[in-house]
Amino acid sequence: MGRVLTVDTGGGAEDGGDAVLRVRHLSKTFGGTRALADVDLDVERGEIHALLGGNGSGKSTLIKVLAGVYAGDRGEVATGGRTARADAWTPQDAFAAGLRFVHQNPGVFLDLSVAENMAIGHGFPTAAGGRIRWRDLHARTRELLQRFNIAAVPEMPLGALGPAARTMVAIARALQDSEGAHGGVLVLDEPTAALPAPEVDLLLDALRGYARAGQTILFVTHRIDEVLDIATRVTVLRDGRRVGTLPRAEISESRLVELIVGRPLEHIYPDAAPTASADTVLDMRGVAGGLARGVDLQVRRGEITGLAGLIGSGTSETLRTVFGLVPRSAGTVLLDGRPLADFDPAAAMSAGVAYVPADRGAEAIFVAMSVRENLSAAGVHRYWRGLRLRHREEQRDAHASLRDFLIRAASDTAPISTLSGGNQQKVILARWLRRRPRLLLLDEPTQGVDVGARAELWSLVRRAAAEGTAVLVVSSDFDELARVCDRVAVLRQGRVVAELRPPLLDGKRLTELAYSVEVLSA
Amino acid sequence: MSVDSAAANPAADPTPPAAPPQPAARRSLATMAVRLAERWALLILLGVVVVFFGVWSRTSSVFLSVDDFRLIGSSQAVLAVLALGTIVPLICGQFDFSVGSVAGLSSVLTAAAFSHGHWPLAAGLLVGVAVGAFVGLVNGFVVTRFGVNSFIATLGSASVITGIVNWYTQGLSIVQDIPTALTDFGSGQWLGVPRTVYLLVVVALVVYYLLDHTPFGRFLHSVGSNAEAARLVGLRVPRIVFGSFVCSGTLAGIAGVLLLAQSGAGNPQVGSSLTLTAFSAAFLGATTVRPGRFNVLGTLVAIFFIAVSITGLTYAGASDFIHDLFTGGALIFAVTISAQLGRRRAGVR
Repeated sequence: MGRVLTVDTGGGAEDGGDAVLRVRHLSKTFGGTRALADVDLDVERGEIHALLGGNGSGKSTLIKVLAGVYAGDRGEVATGGRTARADAWTPQDAFAAGLRFVHQNPGVFLDLSVAENMAIGHGFPTAAGGRIRWRDLHARTRELLQRFNIAAVPEMPLGALGPAARTMVAIARALQDSEGAHGGVLVLDEPTAALPAPEVDLLLDALRGYARAGQTILFVTHRIDEVLDIATRVTVLRDGRRVGTLPRAEISESRLVELIVGRPLEHIYPDAAPTASADTVLDMRGVAGGLARGVDLQVRRGEITGLAGLIGSGTSETLRTVFGLVPRSAGTVLLDGRPLADFDPAAAMSAGVAYVPADRGAEAIFVAMSVRENLSAAGVHRYWRGLRLRHREEQRDAHASLRDFLIRAASDTAPISTLSGGNQQKVILARWLRRRPRLLLLDEPTQGVDVGARAELWSLVRRAAAEGTAVLVVSSDFDELARVCDRVAVLRQGRVVAELRPPLLDGKRLTELAYSVEVLSA
Repeated sequence: MSVDSAAANPAADPTPPAAPPQPAARRSLATMAVRLAERWALLILLGVVVVFFGVWSRTSSVFLSVDDFRLIGSSQAVLAVLALGTIVPLICGQFDFSVGSVAGLSSVLTAAAFSHGHWPLAAGLLVGVAVGAFVGLVNGFVVTRFGVNSFIATLGSASVITGIVNWYTQGLSIVQDIPTALTDFGSGQWLGVPRTVYLLVVVALVVYYLLDHTPFGRFLHSVGSNAEAARLVGLRVPRIVFGSFVCSGTLAGIAGVLLLAQSGAGNPQVGSSLTLTAFSAAFLGATTVRPGRFNVLGTLVAIFFIAVSITGLTYAGASDFIHDLFTGGALIFAVTISAQLGRRRAGVR
């Protein structure tokens, strides 16, 4: 793997110091997978400490251990002079130590008023008979809104506020009992992941303000630009290890990318802009819809094309726009040179598009139905002849699919819920490939699939490509993309910023390109 | 649909969490036996009930003569058609609580067509069925177009229909000029079997065909199992839901005509009280034959199980209260069992 790159110029993190939260030698394994290995973390009073890392770097696990949701295997957590073993750290301990958590989904109620949101989980002030003292609640809420600089009144429904303000209300709710206390730590777990750009700026401004007022903040993110923007220090995790802690003065984009990726940044020369050729199946020109903001992309017959990007970069939306699940606001989509109808999955299907969604349980599986019924779900009409469904023919096809797609099931009449995740995914893949689609869209096809089944899935996709299907894959596992794709386009903020093909194609390059703030291609 | 989600949460239809990986189902003799017993439990229970009341000293002398069977057969035909009507929307995750009221409306308007309008037989019958289909159309429109929860929408339409029926009839039965051809059908027999039972068999076969041998039936199951996944395989979910309400309305219309044939009168008081029994049978039916799925044969078995049990208990000295008691108890029991079955099918423990 080359040299391991680790730096520590965090400064002042020797014992003592002014750390309000100190983690030492924290390790955590799930089954055989190591999520955290010997991680140290120091959060000092009054700083905005960013915790940065890619997918699977261990940052979420670290936060969950801090919150007492997961018990650590080894290591210590020290707060305010008290040291506890990580395997005995409970949510109550975390609360008593002044740690306050606000998660990506901040758990607010849009239909309730701002004041009610403040009181929920904290307690309503009540008078005799359990009556809520609304006047007190509203007065207290007004104070909190002022203290946290939120432009709202207690009586208005939370849904009337913007997304950033909602998160700020969640922060105020979490911190309301620590009257300006500076002992605690506000832990924000990817608070900006679901926010549109202008809202992100509002929230970051607010955080900066809270820090100035003395609030210590631990800020989990995967966006380098946010770290550059507000962090006073940053700790970077990679593969469950702390690979560096940098003070403000040493934070730079190239440094951070280097730490995330694990090797020095190279200059990338992406291919020249691709041109449509005779075997182009999918041709997207300036397509916008949802988080996609002008995607130019060609997918060719017989090729597996990858789409890499961070959460929020518009990769999934690109697929969903093509399949007609998200309406297009701009651009054209051509399939075999003919324009594809907008916002109409049935039309996309009949034009020859197939779509395997990311959330198998919620969007693909008919859980109470049999394997056979799940296989035929996208083509029931094929068996409708002479005014009846040809069950025997359906059964024959199901048996053939079980064989062809290497699906391990007790029988084709077994409920699909009895299959493993990998076999369920093969059923979904078979459902679509039976239609011999012109274009196959795959969103995170190997999520929740074990290693063995992964390899089989990819071989099935490759076979389909060899038979003439154009394939477009989204995956957050960049190494996997680099391995299985003929070509990978990188999306950033809803646009294709680079396209890689071998020999330049590898997971680390994709990571660099996906994370970089500025477009490296010039 | 998975029955448990219909029972537990009519509003949303939460998708059960993805199943944990399981080893391929092993088929030992014991599990086969359990499966088989589970499938036919209700039928076995029906046999037990028949034997019990036949042997028990308090009922053995009167219980279940051939006439009793005929009576149960003919009197349950209306309810059975209605119960078959309820399962069509239930399969795609929707409730139609208006079926009983629609049957009442259909019987009253059909009676009125003969009595006040002196319409020919065929036209009058058509009125009854068309009225049912029309209400189904309205229900389906309100549910799919305006996104009103079907539970609420059909509860509302049931009440509106009951109101209209009472307003139109002033609470009085319509008994004049009901064609004898119709009442003969309702009370007569062919080969010793009540004629209404023949109609029930035809309706049951049609519904079975619709559910198991047409794409529409498959689509209903798909929408009920996972509406979002159904949309993503190109199904027009609202159209399918709409169709299910037209089916249940039409079947309720047929049940109404049958009701008129049997009782010889368009009675405004009968109707809405049938709804709950129909639902009991539908849910009880979903525990048997094909456990975890609403199905035609199971529903019919359930209808006769409920009827035989109530008849037996009545012979044993219980009075009218037993009907409500038993029907309600059966509904709760059935939904509980279904929830367990559904959870197991979804792989949740």
